[in-house]
Amino acid sequence: MGACILAACSKSFLNIAPGGALSPSILANETGVQGLLIGAYSILDGEGGNNGGWGSAASNWTYGGVQADDAYKGSTPSDQSDIVGIESWNTPTTDGYPSQKWDEYYDGVYRANEVLRVLPLAKDIPAAEAAEITAEVRFLRGFFHFELKRVFNNVPYLDEKVTDTSGPVTVTNISGSGYVNIWPQIEADFIAAMAGLPATQSAVGRANKYAAEALLAKVYMTELKYDAAKPLLADLIANGETSDGLKYKLINYGSNFNPAQNHVGDAEAVFTIQTSVNDGSGNSQNAGIGISNGNYGDALNFPYGAGPGACCGFNNPSQNLANAYKTDANGLPLLDDSYSTGNNVSDPTTPYTGTLDPRIDWVMGRKGIPYLDWGPHPGDSWIRDPANDGHFNPKKNVYAESQKGTLSSVESFWANVEEVANNINYIRFADVLLWAAEVDIKGSVPNPAEALSYVNMVRARAADKTGWVYGGGAAYSAATATYAITTPADNYKIGLYPDGAFDNLTYAMTAIMFERRLELAMEGQRFFDLVRWGVAATVLNKYASIEKNVIPFYNGVSFTPGKSEYQPIPQDQIDGLGVTGTSYLKQNPGY
Amino acid sequence: MKQKNGRLAARMCAVLFLIFISGTLLAQKKVTGTVTAAKSNQPVSFASVTVKGTSIATSTDAAGAFTITVPAGKTVLTVTSVGFADLDVTIGSGPVNVVLTETTSTLNEIVVTGYTAQRKKDITGSVAVVNVNNLKQVPSGTTESLLQGQASGVTVINSGSPGEGSNIRIRGITSLGSASPYVVIDGVAGSLHDLDVNDIESIQVLKDAGSTAIYGILGSNGVIVVTTKKGKGKTVLNYDAYIGTQRPLSGNPFHLANTPQYAQALWDMQTYSGIDNSKRIAAFGQGASQTGPMIPTYLQPLTFAGQADPDLTTYNINSDQITKANQTGTNWWGEIFQPALIQSHTLSGSAGGEKSSYFYSINYFDQEGTLINTYLKRYTARMNTVFNVKNNVRIGENAFIFYKDNPRITNQNEGNAISMVYRIPPIIPVYDVEGNYAGTKSFTINNADNPVAMQKRTANNKGNDWQVNGNVFAEVDLFKHLTLRTSFGGTFDNYYYYYFSYTGYENAEGNTNANGFTEGAGYNSQWLWTNTANYSNTFGKHSLKVLIGTEARKVYDRSLSGNRTTYFSTDPSFWTLNDGTPSTQSNSGGAPYQLTSSSVFGKVDYAYNDKYLLAATVRNDGVSVFYPGHQYGTFPSFTAGWRISREDFMKNISWLTDLKLRGGWGKAGSYSNTPTTNAYTLYASTAGQSYYPITGSGTASTAGFFPSQLGNQNTTWETDIQTDAGIDASLFKGKLDFSFDWYQKKISGLLFQNRSVLDAFIPVAQPYINGGNIQNTGFDFSATYHATINHDFHLDITGNISHYKSLVSSLPFGYKYLDQYSSGSSRIGAFTRSQAGQPVGEFFGYQVVGLFQNNADITKSPDQSSLSPGVGAFKYKDANGDGKVTTDDRTWIGNPNPDFTYGLNISANYKSFDFSVFFYGSQGNKVVNYIKYWTDFPEVFEGNVTTTAINNSARIVNSAGQPASVNDPTAQVANPGAKTPVFNTTSTSSGPSTSGAFNSYYIEDGSYLRCKSLIIGYTLPTTTLKRFGIDKFRVYVQCANLFTITKYTGLDPELQGSDLNNNSNFGIDFGNYPANQKNYNIGVNVSF
Repeated sequence: MGACILAACSKSFLNIAPGGALSPSILANETGVQGLLIGAYSILDGEGGNNGGWGSAASNWTYGGVQADDAYKGSTPSDQSDIVGIESWNTPTTDGYPSQKWDEYYDGVYRANEVLRVLPLAKDIPAAEAAEITAEVRFLRGFFHFELKRVFNNVPYLDEKVTDTSGPVTVTNISGSGYVNIWPQIEADFIAAMAGLPATQSAVGRANKYAAEALLAKVYMTELKYDAAKPLLADLIANGETSDGLKYKLINYGSNFNPAQNHVGDAEAVFTIQTSVNDGSGNSQNAGIGISNGNYGDALNFPYGAGPGACCGFNNPSQNLANAYKTDANGLPLLDDSYSTGNNVSDPTTPYTGTLDPRIDWVMGRKGIPYLDWGPHPGDSWIRDPANDGHFNPKKNVYAESQKGTLSSVESFWANVEEVANNINYIRFADVLLWAAEVDIKGSVPNPAEALSYVNMVRARAADKTGWVYGGGAAYSAATATYAITTPADNYKIGLYPDGAFDNLTYAMTAIMFERRLELAMEGQRFFDLVRWGVAATVLNKYASIEKNVIPFYNGVSFTPGKSEYQPIPQDQIDGLGVTGTSYLKQNPGY
Repeated sequence: MKQKNGRLAARMCAVLFLIFISGTLLAQKKVTGTVTAAKSNQPVSFASVTVKGTSIATSTDAAGAFTITVPAGKTVLTVTSVGFADLDVTIGSGPVNVVLTETTSTLNEIVVTGYTAQRKKDITGSVAVVNVNNLKQVPSGTTESLLQGQASGVTVINSGSPGEGSNIRIRGITSLGSASPYVVIDGVAGSLHDLDVNDIESIQVLKDAGSTAIYGILGSNGVIVVTTKKGKGKTVLNYDAYIGTQRPLSGNPFHLANTPQYAQALWDMQTYSGIDNSKRIAAFGQGASQTGPMIPTYLQPLTFAGQADPDLTTYNINSDQITKANQTGTNWWGEIFQPALIQSHTLSGSAGGEKSSYFYSINYFDQEGTLINTYLKRYTARMNTVFNVKNNVRIGENAFIFYKDNPRITNQNEGNAISMVYRIPPIIPVYDVEGNYAGTKSFTINNADNPVAMQKRTANNKGNDWQVNGNVFAEVDLFKHLTLRTSFGGTFDNYYYYYFSYTGYENAEGNTNANGFTEGAGYNSQWLWTNTANYSNTFGKHSLKVLIGTEARKVYDRSLSGNRTTYFSTDPSFWTLNDGTPSTQSNSGGAPYQLTSSSVFGKVDYAYNDKYLLAATVRNDGVSVFYPGHQYGTFPSFTAGWRISREDFMKNISWLTDLKLRGGWGKAGSYSNTPTTNAYTLYASTAGQSYYPITGSGTASTAGFFPSQLGNQNTTWETDIQTDAGIDASLFKGKLDFSFDWYQKKISGLLFQNRSVLDAFIPVAQPYINGGNIQNTGFDFSATYHATINHDFHLDITGNISHYKSLVSSLPFGYKYLDQYSSGSSRIGAFTRSQAGQPVGEFFGYQVVGLFQNNADITKSPDQSSLSPGVGAFKYKDANGDGKVTTDDRTWIGNPNPDFTYGLNISANYKSFDFSVFFYGSQGNKVVNYIKYWTDFPEVFEGNVTTTAINNSARIVNSAGQPASVNDPTAQVANPGAKTPVFNTTSTSSGPSTSGAFNSYYIEDGSYLRCKSLIIGYTLPTTTLKRFGIDKFRVYVQCANLFTITKYTGLDPELQGSDLNNNSNFGIDFGNYPANQKNYNIGVNVSF
């Protein structure tokens, strides 16, 4: 009774300070601002923010890979049926996957802007540090907008002034009778980031000057502003270094996808999205599905059943992709698309027996070839539904058996063994070299010889036999992503383009486009390349006509030019009403 | 605010002061006496004793005793009480002992309503009085479930899961958040959930704002007022018990295919998908020579043994689990649902006298679930005592203590064991060749878990709950007409649990996941301090009652838990946190839940000549959930009644015993689900949401912060304004009573989590704001008929009907609609949408008009190409008539709100036999049979299929009449009457035109009528018993859920929400634990 009398008679009885949370005043200092910046970085992996999930995977495996000719959705047909629309280039406006991407990366934008809002309130941050923080924020803000732009195209740009939504609508994708163009703002963010960031950073995960420069180059390449990209690429190739101070170079191909090697000291890492496991983020007690710092976005993309990861059999490389690795007598790719004819690579009954580019066996798991150190791939028993999923498993996101439990999660939540600390190579140096080659062909001052040298640098690395996959029970080193050199696992042959081969600019561009496909396969890049080159409809409709012979899915699906290049703006966003009672967003053409 | 708090504090302190300075200021001439009932010989408490010809009155106490001051010259007392005929007695010398004769009319029954008690005939609000005897008919461990069908205006939806909560709605859905009514037990906030039904003396349901406004912020969802038993008269010992068996639904209630049927369905699916023989599912045979499915003898993860015996020595639980196929099919339902025991034993003792009274009871309740390893085991004890310290001072306490262990499944969820019954293929047996659990890993298709393994692995988990609920109180009668009361009480709930998650080695998914152990504990506490002053007097024909009071409340909840994984042994003796791998440890302790409120309230009841009745209440409430300046709300109500039968012009109507017209208007409030920190903008830091491995560690991340919520300082009450008009009538000397109410309930300023205009752009948890309105209109009707056919044969019939119509009248700014995702599953999007002009919770999706018969049909129909149509796929209605079918053509396809629900109790006594039967029904509600998603589309994870789907699915033929692929240009449906789409795995199959979207295929009529209970009892003759010192001995047999009449094709149309706190989402079947299982009991009631 005594206690309640005191409580009842106390004037503060109804005023209770919130427990277990931070109030704004606690964060207005250096630690707080740096913490908010880390919070903004944490959205890079596409998880842990607003509505994250597989649809917001940083690897873009759905939008960049399944939507292109890299891979099939996989699993059983109705599993994650939100991907069906994406894969068939006919995404319903109510589809859940694009919503995840939209919500998650606009959360990234918000968190980045929040740093800029709190920064001026902190009085203990030196001006130089404040400038550096601002530059990092602008990198992140540019990054999130760029990702939204290339998936949805007609998206609004938000800066730190957008804080409240009760007033007049200032955020819209509508401009006159058309749409806003936010390329200038994205470019401005990266230009500012480039100017404000140091060459090396205190932590490898932070963006440095060259990461910003490479992102700006990626933006220009997407806009096909070849001449604007040219000096940036030249600078990156000549002077670029990683955040931990390594001069850019091509490393062992497989090491790019090895969680033991792609965190620190990775000289090919131009910009990498960091992941970690067993760090307390993936426990069911404090995390829902999708909230963890491992590579959750790719958690479905493991062999099914008794295979590594033990779930879920998604993102199966396509037969078409496997066939693309066929090489001719010179070890060069079959640029005339004749790779689609003849026997299929790894066909269960009549497999192709000719020569192959050795990169195929870092890109996909296929029958009989060592799957890292998990032993030879057993074939269709690791495939969930071979009639619909083909015969291949993804490989670049997977971990070695010897890394299980250390670089894969043991925290207890759904399918924890598929949570891996395998970083996402957002831009690696090979990508930069191939852009430089493309600029040399498509820029206003062609330089085919230089283009050829860049492409051959990439091919020469692939030709390095220490980086091949070897059979016969060859020992695999999970520390270096190399096998003991025995007999190559398949009939590999890869050659360089001869001098002068790129003098025919059309041939050169075809070769570069093909090289990008082979080098960057299953890294979420392909669809965006096809769209920026303007060939998506041609390539993908042809792909459907070939692929329907092996996978019934591609019967009756087609790519609609002018529509299918971009995802629809999520219907619930369109249906949100502005103060005038009308929509503030306009749906993309064709939807 | 400072002022307001100060005023409140002053009032509370003053009341307290008055209580403790109470004196004895009574008059000198006193008459004492007792009142007893003729039939039972029990004391009559609360009987009204008036000196005839004056306004001097008092009422009897719990022991039936009274003391009254009689002026000189007055010699007659009038004694009245509910259920008894009025009686005048002349005062003689010594105590006056009055014996009242029972009447059948309930009009004089005293009913406890908001903070006071009234005669039923004086009530002007809408109050349903529950017949507690009828309530006890149904065997159940949760008392709220028993309200089903027992009170008009109350809709209750239960499940068969022991100890599971119920959806309770008073007069429809009054909030998109929790619509649970406020429960007051002996004046203190409590819960019906674990209350022993045998302890209950009375239950009233306050339905309109006229009667709930006195509870202010807690009244919006209606109020249930429970009074528990008190000791009366001589010492009585009661033993009530029953024991019985619960019978699960028999056979194959989901109508699932057996192994050959399942194999054939998958085979056909692949044929229609155009998959050639070489690529067919390996388990059922591949190759050009196959003409139909082969049923394998053994299943193995890497190779299919087919018909040959495999080398069993290669068996390896992790990589090569060998399983003998169940070639006929496993009856998974029968494997996890088994007959189960139910028993309840209550022993109570009570006595009441001049100085004190007590009621003690203990109960043991044990209900095994028919689903293995689910049960409710509960031990309860109640101690209610009252001490009459002086003639005018009473102190007492009510205490209820229980311990329970109640392992349950997450009901209504696609991931629970019930759902796995139809998700797992029938070819998989329960155990593999080594006696380990068998599962989908050996089969290599499908991803369901073995439901037996799921349930059996929970056997050693623990979950304990201890709770104390009750209060202490003191009452003082002052100045003859004034009673002061203070009560302090509440609930303290302490719980502790641990559970182990095993590596599901037999599953196709997650078979190498680390095992893990989680242990946690927490407590929930609430106290309530109530002070009231009650004044009651009559002046000639005027009767006046005044109540004023104050109330303060505090809620505080806290919890923590820890987890580790990778235990090297799964032996339960190892289950401590220390035994797991230290590097995997994690712990969590959420922010405490804290809430305070303080209130002042008052009520005036005025009656003129028992004919014109007026009542007014007002309550001023403050709650910490809102920001200072918006914390306080005032909730008034006004009600009036006209007992028209007391008018002279009605006097001659002999069959009309009583007729009262009444009406009222009032306002109540709610803070709904508003978080207690709603006013504050906050940041948070959690590893998954704001940490980033910036140093490139791979196994450690750097802490970061993120804006976690925006505060809103302007948010305030959700307001419920209710208008009610009713008639209460009693006919033929109380043989027939009925009551009818019409109401309109408008809930305005609904508390919504804000959706900003740019919600994705401001992705911080938005505050709850006020916006949007719901309007319910409806009627409640109840009637009771008592008949004495002859001396040996009595008949009682009680029925009620409840109807409500809910309407979302507007949504907050920025919302066009509100799609509600169910927590049970959302693989095909939201099922319900709330939008202005529609009922709450209405189903929204495509309307199926048929199946596309052939390609020409697709071409000539409205263009459905954006939804990937195909031959044998759903043809949808072009709802907006624009010539094409797109996501814009989704429309309203069913209302889960019933047209009406009804209950009917019939009880009869013939000599020593008694008979009762209770029916409950719900009419006109639509349900979503989401199970069809899993069972009618085999492409959904290749799970099991119903025979109904097999028989009704489209079969595809080509121009030659041969089974063909849907991709064949000449493909057409061979059976045009087919309702289920062709079994198919191509792109058209999983798109929105078949299993990829929610549509009217899932909608069914959920109307049902259930015989909830049938009881036949026999009471042994008293003469025989007396010799053994037994006053009463009754035995009975019972069958609960004897039958259910419904057209619903699932297990049971009674479908509670997957989240009981979300009332916008219900009537959806995710594999519900059925509430319609038969239950045969025998029971006894013994009194000593």
